[in-house]
Amino acid sequence: MQALRLARPHLALRTANVSGARWISATASQASAASLHPAANASAIPLSNVEAQWERLSADEQLTVHQQLEEIQKKDWKTLSIDEKKAAYYVAFGPHGPRAPINPPGTTLKIAIWVTGFVGLGTALYVAARNLAQPPPKTISKEWEEASNERALEQKMDPISGIASKGYSGKGFVTHK
Amino acid sequence: MMRSRVLPTLVRARPTVARAAPTLVRFSSGHAQESFEAFTERYVNFFQSAQDLFEVQRGLNNCFAHDLVPAPSVIEAALRASRRVNDYATAVRVFEGIKEKVENKQQYQAYLEELKGVRDELGISTKEELFSS
Repeated sequence: MQALRLARPHLALRTANVSGARWISATASQASAASLHPAANASAIPLSNVEAQWERLSADEQLTVHQQLEEIQKKDWKTLSIDEKKAAYYVAFGPHGPRAPINPPGTTLKIAIWVTGFVGLGTALYVAARNLAQPPPKTISKEWEEASNERALEQKMDPISGIASKGYSGKGFVTHK
Repeated sequence: MMRSRVLPTLVRARPTVARAAPTLVRFSSGHAQESFEAFTERYVNFFQSAQDLFEVQRGLNNCFAHDLVPAPSVIEAALRASRRVNDYATAVRVFEGIKEKVENKQQYQAYLEELKGVRDELGISTKEELFSS
């Protein structure tokens, strides 16, 4: 029963979007009727449905619900129905207004999926760039670098502090391990 | 003659008040720690004399803001206060507050057991009981 009640407003909205003017005019006339006669409408707001429709109620209707609940809560609490208790709690401390959750449910999952997707895309780009790139130039190899060292010694390159100096202990041009 | 008589009086006229050593007290550190029992008693008294919903909710905000879980007697006083101001939602909210403050579910269950009497007497359901179905 509750599920039916919760489902009904959404259904009405969806059909309103689809079938257009007739529905819109119908809901508009309902709304204007409600705002014209808030006091007459007071008993018409069912407390069992307050949670589902609280956000859509006008300020006047919310006021009448508040007043209704104030009267109800003056009674013995053991005689309250579960719907009345729920309505009292929801109106006072429910997730609406300042207590509305900042993120709609499922946000964490959405963020996790998008982040994973973009990290995966980045990884794929990296792997593709590494695999599709030209091979490194022939001068970047251990053999070439050792040959460079020999040539530097032949030429006595940098004889004061560099590779051809006395007691030189560095690697010269060799950068490979 | 005159001079010799005047001089001692002048000397005597100098203020001879002993200079008091400055008392090095930090007034900010002078407060005593309130014991848990004193805290409990203070809030039981507060809730017993709370007049309206605003006072009750202000007291709840204050007593749940400390680094402790209020004693069951405080909770009971708060529940009776919310009964007195006719606000069922606040009574339910008190249990939500306890659930936030305790360290684990066993402690929460212990609080529920301890307060079962007053809960049944006043007809207070917890949020879980209300919204589980």
